[in-house]
Amino acid sequence: MKRLLTYLLVLFLPIILVACVSSNNSTSTEGTNDSQDNESTDTEQEDTQSADEPVELTYWYWADNSEYSNLMQDIIAEFNETNDKGITVIGEEYPWDGGGYSETLFTAAMGGGGPDVAAFKLTSTPLFTANNLLAKLDDYIDSWEDKDDIEENLYDIMKSASGTDNLYVMPWNTQVLYMYYRPSIFEEAGVEVPTTYEELLTAIEQTTMDTDGDGNTDIYGFGMRGATGGQEPWGSFIHGRGGDFEDMTSKEAIQGMQDFIDIYENGYAPPSATTDGFNEIIANFKSGKTAMTVHHTGSSAEMVETFGDDVSAFAFPEGVGQWTSMGDTNNVIFESTEHKEAAFEWVSYLATGKGQEDWTIATGNVPVSTRVQEMDHFQNDEFMKASIEGVPFAGILPIKDTTTEWISTIWPNTTASALLGEITAEDAMQQLHESLHEE
Amino acid sequence: MRRKNINIWPYLLVLPALLIVTFVVFIPVIEAIFMSFQSYDLRRPDKIAYLGFRNFADMFSDPIFWLAFKNTIIWVVFGVGLQFLFGFILALLLNQSFRGRGIIRAVSLIPWATPGVLIGLMWKWIYDGNYGVLNDLLIKLGLLDQGITFLSQTSTAFGSVIVTIIWQGIPFFAIMILAGLQVISREMYEAADIDGASKLQKLIHITIPSLKNVIIITILLRIIWVSNSVDIIHNMTGGGPSYSTQTLSVYIFNKATVLDLGYSSSMALFLMFMLAMVAVPYLKNAFKER
Amino acid sequence: MRWKRIVSLYIPLGTILLFLLFPFYWTFITSMKPEHELYGSTVTYWPKELTLASYQKLFGEFNFLLPMWNSFLVATITTFVTLFVSTLAAYSFTRYEFKGKSLLMGLFLTNNMFPNVLLLIPLFAIMRSFDLLYTPISLVMAYATFTIPFSVWMLTGYLKDLPNALEEAAMIDGANRATAFIKVILPVLMPSIVATGVYIFIQSWNEYTFAVLFTNEATRTIPVTLKNLIGQLGVQWDLLTAGGIITIIPVCIMFFFAQKKLIEGMTAGSVKG
Repeated sequence: MKRLLTYLLVLFLPIILVACVSSNNSTSTEGTNDSQDNESTDTEQEDTQSADEPVELTYWYWADNSEYSNLMQDIIAEFNETNDKGITVIGEEYPWDGGGYSETLFTAAMGGGGPDVAAFKLTSTPLFTANNLLAKLDDYIDSWEDKDDIEENLYDIMKSASGTDNLYVMPWNTQVLYMYYRPSIFEEAGVEVPTTYEELLTAIEQTTMDTDGDGNTDIYGFGMRGATGGQEPWGSFIHGRGGDFEDMTSKEAIQGMQDFIDIYENGYAPPSATTDGFNEIIANFKSGKTAMTVHHTGSSAEMVETFGDDVSAFAFPEGVGQWTSMGDTNNVIFESTEHKEAAFEWVSYLATGKGQEDWTIATGNVPVSTRVQEMDHFQNDEFMKASIEGVPFAGILPIKDTTTEWISTIWPNTTASALLGEITAEDAMQQLHESLHEE
Repeated sequence: MRRKNINIWPYLLVLPALLIVTFVVFIPVIEAIFMSFQSYDLRRPDKIAYLGFRNFADMFSDPIFWLAFKNTIIWVVFGVGLQFLFGFILALLLNQSFRGRGIIRAVSLIPWATPGVLIGLMWKWIYDGNYGVLNDLLIKLGLLDQGITFLSQTSTAFGSVIVTIIWQGIPFFAIMILAGLQVISREMYEAADIDGASKLQKLIHITIPSLKNVIIITILLRIIWVSNSVDIIHNMTGGGPSYSTQTLSVYIFNKATVLDLGYSSSMALFLMFMLAMVAVPYLKNAFKER
Repeated sequence: MRWKRIVSLYIPLGTILLFLLFPFYWTFITSMKPEHELYGSTVTYWPKELTLASYQKLFGEFNFLLPMWNSFLVATITTFVTLFVSTLAAYSFTRYEFKGKSLLMGLFLTNNMFPNVLLLIPLFAIMRSFDLLYTPISLVMAYATFTIPFSVWMLTGYLKDLPNALEEAAMIDGANRATAFIKVILPVLMPSIVATGVYIFIQSWNEYTFAVLFTNEATRTIPVTLKNLIGQLGVQWDLLTAGGIITIIPVCIMFFFAQKKLIEGMTAGSVKG
């Protein structure tokens, strides 16, 4: 019997051991805010002393296709060669995974194994700052020579996302949504480019056509996105009627939702719209199934490749209100890194340096550096023009700690219910409002 | 003295497996149990507090939870049931001798060997309402006039996803049962042949009883596995449209990826409890009458 | 006789195989279609222009061999480690009566019931504290979370169906337990071990959730590399489907050789029995 007890003890020893280790970990990540601040000032001093010693930085990013992946590796290589501070960036690519990237990054950072610097989406900011994972950038920005190359309002957007007055996120590039359309279909339907929201609704109706007369719709007016990401074009409809995100239960906002539902129920959008994501709306547009769809410059190159001159763009037109979504890709520096100065060198190279030029020119994203925006490449492109036209009324969803869940599951499912006639526009807006603004 | 010595061996044999599993599972599970009694939402780390049974109370008044629960039952009953049926048939077929059997056995593994990412995308592509091959085939066969958007309607989405999990799970049952078939000694069948038993009689009186434990365990493990499976639904529909394909495990996954760990742990414990309710009596019955 | 065979074997087998293999065929065709044909107005069942460009790209600039090697390494180690410890445990569960047996068996079963996604954060911290992050060992450990419980139960099932008489006969002949196990049980159990091994191998070969977290560029496995091909700007169908095909082939080839073991066990069993 004694022997059996000993064996049992041996058995449970590791359990106790691991329990201790893991509980130690959790206390050190949660409760030691003050000591972390002290530590960070120490390391900053060390940083300045040893500025010339070689520094290695791990950088996490995702790539939207393999060309972008190669591009990022090239930019990293060039930075490593040309910077005179002995900084070596090691790029680690992670899958975008429909937004799963942010959770992977968070889990790694919480577990103490994350990178020094990472590409980042603004919507995740509350999660990361609430857990004290990100480094404050205010001091670095204030003493940065290129500070004014980035517009003040962009900094403000980054700040508001954290829910504090501090800046944790370094701008990198943005994407402003606009409407792609097919001039040839417009001509066939006898429709002009809409200049008001009402005209847009009419245009969507009129470009929905049965071209071969077999009783089935062959061209749908609007390539609606009902899967995750669809909240961005949807927001334009809500604002078109004068609604907004602060009070989605207003009469105007509900009317906007009703317009959205009507487009689907009347058959002006493909029946698959309830689950259509980026791939589907682009494929439908490129195969001629839809006359209009909302996206940004990231897809303009392939549109032109498919249609040549037979594709163009207009900014989402004004109704009672006017709004379009501004997408963003940024960079963050982690509080845990020992090389904040070096990390800032790298993120600023991407924000205003050669890295900004190379990345935005090749990917077609809107630069954040005003210097780069003024380059000929961006001034002469019709799609870039539609983007820049949208900038004055472009905005983002309210960034709260509920936003990520709202985007990934609540909006798509609630909207699908409304589109499929399971709930009314009013109920849908009520649910959407409550889940976003829940305290 | 002797008796005690004998008693140590079983523990020693279990020890290595137990040690590895202890390191990697027990600790996280215990943490999850603690989390399920707290408002453990990492989006609001400064508000984490002990809640008692609040998470469970919330869960039982959450209509999405009940929908997911219902979906889980449908998912498991049809998913596992049909996987088993077709898998068993396939195993019996693959156990016969015919030319090219090795190759056929190897290729029938394909669905199972396919990465989840690809299964999701591939089937989405097959079901596609505009360019999908399934619609094209149905139209060519004259069964349809116009394509159905299988994954976009609440009426068809879940059935379509279930067909995919059946597709993926057939080889598993086939291989496991095929392995079990090899242990049955040939003499039993020969004796039955002498008695003039039909094929069906041999199946019912020899094959199935001899495989009883293997069948019970494969079904049970598969029930557990399928009810916990996330990646096919995640890659095909994400649980939509309108939550119609969201099972409990997908709901847990979605809640956990937005870092509401308290609520998702509560649901995970509930799911675990339900599975245990299925497993324990099932195993007790199965192993008692030996 | 011939007709009977067609009805009882070839027709059902053909139907099931058609269902199982058509999606694979479709993947293969998709991997070779140029894009305009992919989204064309008519569905084509054999591409008009064949292109192997995606396969070249995959091995040329994409270096797909590295993740293949990593996946192979992780899956192989996991398979052997799991099979070894699980066979011992299963033997213990079926051939001994001891205190706490049902508790231990229950522990292994409930392990299977817990969703992976909730294990991630604590497991990551554990891996880091043992300095295993971003090494293949961390994946082997993580995969053990689901392979060991599964295998222990599966092998317990097979061993239970195996008559005790086999080894008892050998032990009466003077062999000790270990010899009886190796000489008598193991050969008969081989098909079951192979089947379980195939299961472990495939699960580890295809796992994504842990793999994305516990690997970096150097140790990355196939599913993560494949998922890298799906960005915000759509899916790279050509590379993804080509990668998928290449992922499946080694598993099938391996099983082609392994499945012969499924028959060997049979002969061994009937000789002794």
